Amino acid sequence: MKTSRDDLIKTVEELQQKGFDYLIKITAVDYVQSLTVIYFLRKMADGSEETVEVELNPVDAWVPTLIKHFRAADWYEREMAEMFAIEIKGRQAHRLLLEKWDGVEAPLRKSFQWAQPYKSDTK
Amino acid sequence: MSIGNPFMWLTQALQSANIVSNIEALIVYAIFIAVLISVFDYLFGWVERKMIAKAHLRHGPTYVGKYGILQNLADFIKLLSKENIIPRNADRLLFMTMLPLLLAFSVFLIFLVPLSPTLQATNLGLGLLIIFVTLSFVPSIVFLGGVATGNKFADISAQRSVIMLVSYELPVILVLVAVSTLANGFNLGSIVAAQSPYWFIILMPLGFVIFFIGMLAELERPPFDIREADSELIAGWFTDYSSPYYMLGLFLDYTRMLLGSLLIAIIFLGGWLGPSFLPPMFWLLAKAVIISLAIVFIRVATVRMRINSLLRFGWIYLLPLSIINLIVTFIIFVK
Amino acid sequence: MITRINVGPIHPGTHGVLRLLVDVDGDTIKRVETHIGFLHRGVEKLVETRMYMQSPPYMEKLDYIAPLAFDELLVAAIEGALGVEVKERAQYIRVIQLELQRIASHLLWLGTLANDVGQLATVFMWAFSDRDKVMRLLEESSGTRMFYVNQRIGGLIRDQPPDFKEHALPLLDYLEKRIPEFEATLEKNPIFTQRMKGIGVLGKEDAINFGVTGPVLRGSGINYDTRSNQDYYVYKKLNFAPQIQYRGDSYSRYKVRMLELRESIKVVRNALNKMPEGDALGLPVRLINPAVKNRIVRVSRETPRGEGMMYMVADPQRPYRLSIRSPSFVNLSVLDHISREHRFADLFAILASLDPVMADVDR
Repeated sequence: MKTSRDDLIKTVEELQQKGFDYLIKITAVDYVQSLTVIYFLRKMADGSEETVEVELNPVDAWVPTLIKHFRAADWYEREMAEMFAIEIKGRQAHRLLLEKWDGVEAPLRKSFQWAQPYKSDTK
Repeated sequence: MSIGNPFMWLTQALQSANIVSNIEALIVYAIFIAVLISVFDYLFGWVERKMIAKAHLRHGPTYVGKYGILQNLADFIKLLSKENIIPRNADRLLFMTMLPLLLAFSVFLIFLVPLSPTLQATNLGLGLLIIFVTLSFVPSIVFLGGVATGNKFADISAQRSVIMLVSYELPVILVLVAVSTLANGFNLGSIVAAQSPYWFIILMPLGFVIFFIGMLAELERPPFDIREADSELIAGWFTDYSSPYYMLGLFLDYTRMLLGSLLIAIIFLGGWLGPSFLPPMFWLLAKAVIISLAIVFIRVATVRMRINSLLRFGWIYLLPLSIINLIVTFIIFVK
Repeated sequence: MITRINVGPIHPGTHGVLRLLVDVDGDTIKRVETHIGFLHRGVEKLVETRMYMQSPPYMEKLDYIAPLAFDELLVAAIEGALGVEVKERAQYIRVIQLELQRIASHLLWLGTLANDVGQLATVFMWAFSDRDKVMRLLEESSGTRMFYVNQRIGGLIRDQPPDFKEHALPLLDYLEKRIPEFEATLEKNPIFTQRMKGIGVLGKEDAINFGVTGPVLRGSGINYDTRSNQDYYVYKKLNFAPQIQYRGDSYSRYKVRMLELRESIKVVRNALNKMPEGDALGLPVRLINPAVKNRIVRVSRETPRGEGMMYMVADPQRPYRLSIRSPSFVNLSVLDHISREHRFADLFAILASLDPVMADVDR
């Protein structure tokens, strides 16, 4: 199911009312022209699953937080925020979850520059 | 006053205080006790390692010496040769003194325990009381030693040690009251003499159980090793003590175990009473070793208690039971 | 007065590089702040630069207690992308290996749990020696003792040895006798039950809302097991039933895993008996320009720690993006919630009952 980020909260709330109460994972894919955030939801009662996709502009990447709906979203959003430089609006400022070093920007974006492999000085 | 005996003044002073009669014999006895403690600590350290290894389906120490009997010596040398680090924010004086002080306490208490009617340093009328009053200083020393390191784990451990004191000390003292009424006094020699037909473990089994549990807590043996809980507090109040002190701590553990086993043997298992083909001291030490082995078996089998459940256990089960024990003893045995 | 204690990243109770900042009032926990990421290696990025069959060894280092689980998960994702069917005999062998892996993993967990509640390594040593026997069996089946890398697209690198069944069945009987012994050593000790029952309670609604998986979810009374709900491989034919406990405390999580041990033994035995003859070999490792049928694949598997999921956007040579849902990650995130107002000593019993593997958490 595709939706826009403005309708995300509404879509998720509708799904929640239909019984989709379990957030499996939040992840994102960088398709260079666009950035897709994907929410995997599950209805625990019968095991049926639903996927919510939100397309973002890579330059202006933010999504509203789902932390009020699913507490599982907490760590996933933090992980996604630091891996893709996607701002999560509507939640408190948080420290970095996985990475502790400076100078690394969004390692899972395709624009990420790999460190140059070590080359020996001897010829 | 003759010049021949430089300790005459000391002897006289002690004699006038009615503590000892013969200072030379006392020194010889002190050396004997020191050797006894060292041999017990060394050998029992090896026995415990081997026993625990057997229970774990391991081999234990094997390579150093026959059956690995020299392994502890090797460890001893290694631990002594390592650097002693004192943390910057530790209280140096307390840090350096508390552990040796604790060891000195334990050795001194073993010194006070009579090993047979003839083999004893002193015949204190209030021996039992003196020993247990001194023993109850231990948690305060642990508290100081823990706080002195300036480590937060040690801090928690120190707090726990005080809570532990509250939970087991009172039941143990109540059992001792019952023991002293049976023996008509606090003298350890007369306590053993009073057990000559029946040991106190037969006369009051409930008291024995309470006392044994209390001593386990006193000696910080599992399941009451709450102060040094290694999976949560790393090593408790011991965390920042480095290698030589750690060795001292191991030594302390076994010394206190000897002390505890001796006390249990004397108070409940008839002390040195036994068939006369062997000297009385042998029977006492044999009983002490058997009790120590039982303590090790418990160590292998059980999991650690939580501090609040120990408190609960002490006040809800041990204390009422020890009062019942006291009342029953009064009703049956005191005319 | 609230003291803040730093636990870890090197600490005997955390089993890996987990750092906890614990606010305690005396001995009572008020808040736990979980710091993870010490083992973050960026596997998801690394995989994007590797050819498909170069990646399984990396996946094995995620959950190093149960390496096969994530190895198989990635291979299953690749199979989904290439549209390859797994041969039936290979399905059986995979189930056997995965369940043996679960037994090994749960035995290790049992040992560390007993250690964390303060037993002097007795159950730890017993469980480790039994785990080693299971790993011998896995070695016989796959070729290596710990890091297998024996899954190939559509099958396995080699078939099982012909006398595998004769070696496996006695060990399964032995383990079945052994598990009650472990239980007796722990459960008959009132101190153990006291330290597990009613500790770290995660209610049913909370369990769903926090998104926990695996034994933690089933310990809270929710009947969800990927093996039965998503029906992969031949679990339906093997008489598999998910194990559920209802109290939601550390004890039910412990009990779920103990029951799962028995269930896994049953499943392995059934699989050994029902295994068809035939071919189990997979495609060779070198795939030159494989035809990707499905660009987007999502695969879920029940790893020993819970539901592992891989979401893969496939390119012809290598994954364009591989997103891994690690069960330890979600299970660990619940620690703060369930350990509040418990004693400091309970923190490590609760942590052990969640059974996180830090390499899996950090990826």
